[in-house]
Amino acid sequence: MDRAKANRLVKDILWVVLIAGGVLGVLRFAFGLGASTAMLDSMPWGWWKIFNMVAGAALATSGFVVAAIIYIFKADRYRKVARLSVLVGFLGYGSSLLALGFDVGLPHRGWHPVFMWNPHSFLFEVFWCVSLYWSITALELIPLVSERFPFPKFTHLMHEVMLPFVVLGVTLSTMHHSSLGSLFMAAPTRLHPLWHSMWIPPEFLVSAMGGGLATIILVYLGLTWLTGRDRDMHVLGGLAKWSAIMLGLFAVIRVVDFTLHDKWTFLFGPDITWESYVFGVEFVLQAIVPVLLFATPQGRRSVQALILGGGSAFAGLTANRLNTGITGFVTSSQEVYLPMVSELLVSFAILAGAGLLFLVLVERFNILEEPGQRRGDGVELKPIWSRDEAEAYFKPELIRAAKIAVLVAPITIFAFQGRGASPYTPLEQPVYTSILADDEMRAELRIDADRDGDAVLFPHLKHQQWFEDRKGIEAEQTCVECHHLSVPEDENTTCRACHADMELTTPMFVMARHEERFKKPEDREKFLSYDLDDPEQNFMACFDCHDESMEGLAGYADKGFTHEAPGFREAMHGNCLTCHRREETEEEKSDAMSLGNCYGCHDWAEAVADMEPKPDASQLWRDGRELYLEGELDRAEELYLKARALEPESPAVLYQLGVLYRVTGRSEEAAEVFRQAAQVEDHKDAVRAREALDRLEAELPVPEDVEPELGEAG
Amino acid sequence: MSKSNESAPKHEGEGTGPLEKGILTDVTKCIGCERCVEACVKVNELGPDLPAHYKFGDGLNGDRYTSIVEIEGPEPGTWRAVRRQCMHCADPTCRASCLVGAFTRNPDGAIVYDADKCIGCRYCMLACPFHIPRYQYDKQLPYVAKCQMNEDCREDGGHPACVTACPCEATVFGPRDKLIEEAKRRIAAEPDKYIDHIWGEHEFSGTQVIYISDVPLWETLRIPDQAGLDKRAVPSLGHDSIPHLMHGWVMFTPVQFFGVASALGGYAFLKRRQQLMAETAAAEAKKSAPRDSGGAASDDDEQEG
Repeated sequence: MDRAKANRLVKDILWVVLIAGGVLGVLRFAFGLGASTAMLDSMPWGWWKIFNMVAGAALATSGFVVAAIIYIFKADRYRKVARLSVLVGFLGYGSSLLALGFDVGLPHRGWHPVFMWNPHSFLFEVFWCVSLYWSITALELIPLVSERFPFPKFTHLMHEVMLPFVVLGVTLSTMHHSSLGSLFMAAPTRLHPLWHSMWIPPEFLVSAMGGGLATIILVYLGLTWLTGRDRDMHVLGGLAKWSAIMLGLFAVIRVVDFTLHDKWTFLFGPDITWESYVFGVEFVLQAIVPVLLFATPQGRRSVQALILGGGSAFAGLTANRLNTGITGFVTSSQEVYLPMVSELLVSFAILAGAGLLFLVLVERFNILEEPGQRRGDGVELKPIWSRDEAEAYFKPELIRAAKIAVLVAPITIFAFQGRGASPYTPLEQPVYTSILADDEMRAELRIDADRDGDAVLFPHLKHQQWFEDRKGIEAEQTCVECHHLSVPEDENTTCRACHADMELTTPMFVMARHEERFKKPEDREKFLSYDLDDPEQNFMACFDCHDESMEGLAGYADKGFTHEAPGFREAMHGNCLTCHRREETEEEKSDAMSLGNCYGCHDWAEAVADMEPKPDASQLWRDGRELYLEGELDRAEELYLKARALEPESPAVLYQLGVLYRVTGRSEEAAEVFRQAAQVEDHKDAVRAREALDRLEAELPVPEDVEPELGEAG
Repeated sequence: MSKSNESAPKHEGEGTGPLEKGILTDVTKCIGCERCVEACVKVNELGPDLPAHYKFGDGLNGDRYTSIVEIEGPEPGTWRAVRRQCMHCADPTCRASCLVGAFTRNPDGAIVYDADKCIGCRYCMLACPFHIPRYQYDKQLPYVAKCQMNEDCREDGGHPACVTACPCEATVFGPRDKLIEEAKRRIAAEPDKYIDHIWGEHEFSGTQVIYISDVPLWETLRIPDQAGLDKRAVPSLGHDSIPHLMHGWVMFTPVQFFGVASALGGYAFLKRRQQLMAETAAAEAKKSAPRDSGGAASDDDEQEG
């Protein structure tokens, strides 16, 4: 591909990612961590921390290794990649710290560790070492900028004083790389033993050094290709050699660690799990492949081998950090964390921003050269600053970015998944579920108020019937025995409407809404004259106006009526238990399974909570009727007969059966069941059966629209 | 690291002395009524409840400091309710790991989280072996949530609200040594009923909150048994704390700093000195007036600092 085109393409991709992630980054602050990340209580460290910080820091290790090689060990030939390494370190650490700003819950308190110390914490050490080291990389880059300005003395001075800073930087680096590993040492019972080790500090340090050198090989290859400059194979070979040495050392440490701590069983022994395979792949990528490829001089001289080995080490190091921070926690967490699109895009946007900055810096500063030299082979550095040139460079770039932004930003919104079904957003989910299908009467309810899967089975219809039979209350009047009618003209109010929370009280009286309803000032004054903290008056306040429409409240007048509804548990226990205890006999009271005791309602529910809807007559004849309407008369008859076996006297079942007999020409049988059904007093289906019987006896033809009407259950 | 058979290592006067108060939960007595949860929610003014099956396993979350987990009972078809809450370790990993020191241990043993210091890094959540701290992911300004057991939730007589709320005395509050005695007494009185183990007595150096039960609680409380710890190559955690396990590496940090810095600095200094001396010697040689080059390098040496 044409280099200019490739350059343009790379930049465009970076801009797209930067803009998309930028929009999502704003949404992260607008909607919070729960909405924009998939992080869980059991997986509190997600992609941002593990990939951007832990893996990112490891991949950007090159800065300190190359600095040490050049400044301390005086291996001058690596000067070609000195600035590149430091720049990669600077941008890498900068982007890691920026990612932490998104990841941390309260980023505006980022300064806290400066004043609030806990020297026992490895994270505290990481914080200090990383931020200090980042400052030192910035310091190390000063000559890069200052040499382009006419202060040669300052630049010379910077070169001269650099050594102590390099030593400090290298020291801090060895410390935080080992400490990044120590972070995970604190989870010996949570992190999988394949990744958890008491030797993790040296393992992290050495693997970061090896992987960081591999990264600089890749960056150097990519950059020389993109800018059309010469590759120095000598330098590359040296980097590859040191990378292989470090990764080999890492492999040796690991093998010794595994042998001493008896961990081979997790890889080859009886304890093989899916983690073993993940670990195997990671280890081969991270250490075996690059060491084998870089072991021979031929391998170190071949660009393909360098790309392959470098890529493998890069991928392996990343995998190692992700596995240590995320994969290794899956089993103990019993939950799987998969980063969301928004999380990934923010993460990559930070890297894209760093990449764009990198390309700009490479074009304007002497990065691939030895310090103090000017370029000689045709690729001119752009001048540091001239208004015209800057306009010519930045203006089209920014216009292009703006165009991309217009295109990308609206699409990005769709990538923001939010967390609709989030663990942290209560779902609109019914508390009462009917056991029976097609249960308009709410005959059998499962009440699962805290939605933990354990429910109380509540035979709603039976309660209604109990009031009818035992107390002689009319069917329409039974509701108020248990339900409030809290809203004027309400026919029934579900308990959950006011007792909205399992434990907490809910204010149910909206003062403002009442106040604005009063058109006449005297009404308003009267309303306000009530003392709403006095339960007695409270009730009067409602009843004075809503005397007809809120009759259900009457029974609660003496109980004290407050405008705070108690929690669901309290309300239910109060409502059910008061009555159950009153009504149960002395004999029943001693029984643990009595309705006045806990297990009367609760244990029973648990036992049947996950049961399939049990077959009952009402369900059977309804299913049968469906089949009847579809013309499947044989199967319909089967179900009707089953229903009759369960409830032989149910007029609904008998009526439906009669209709079926009638249609299939068995008039005598039809007459028989209609007669049976008609015997029941006061039932809709009995009335229908009687009418049908009359028609049958008059030997009238069956009406064409023979669709049986829906009767009442059972 | 030496393995001691003592129940808990004493760190600066901490441990399990008579001052330390704790909670003993007897799983056999718990009927799972969740009164403790209710009391905790009310006294701490926590938010409304969430659908339980969206909570992470045990029901603790950013708005719940305690919860009831139902597990299988000793016989098939029976169940036991186990109260989950912060274990209040003698030497807690959350306190050791928090980079701003937001966790402190009160004299009575309660591990208290200071929301004013917290920066929200969630390392405490990763580090707690019991999976206790939870995060308010749904909030714009989220904090860590965990049982505090401090004066905020103490009711009359200094007992936590959750304990006073318990109708069956399944969870009781008191000095930890008394609780251990009581737990041992109960186990000794009914050896057939109880499993002869007090969860929290020794594990991770001991916790203020302890459990006795007739069903194993390892999984529920997320305490690995000794075999599990051996397998994970951290056998000392059966009676030692995680911070103590890592203590060696913490102490190594300053050694590493000064060691690496002085080794590299010294090496670089010597190398530079050698180089300068060689250069000076060469310059001297060029002058063809060979003389001793004693003071020549001193100016340059200062730059090494």
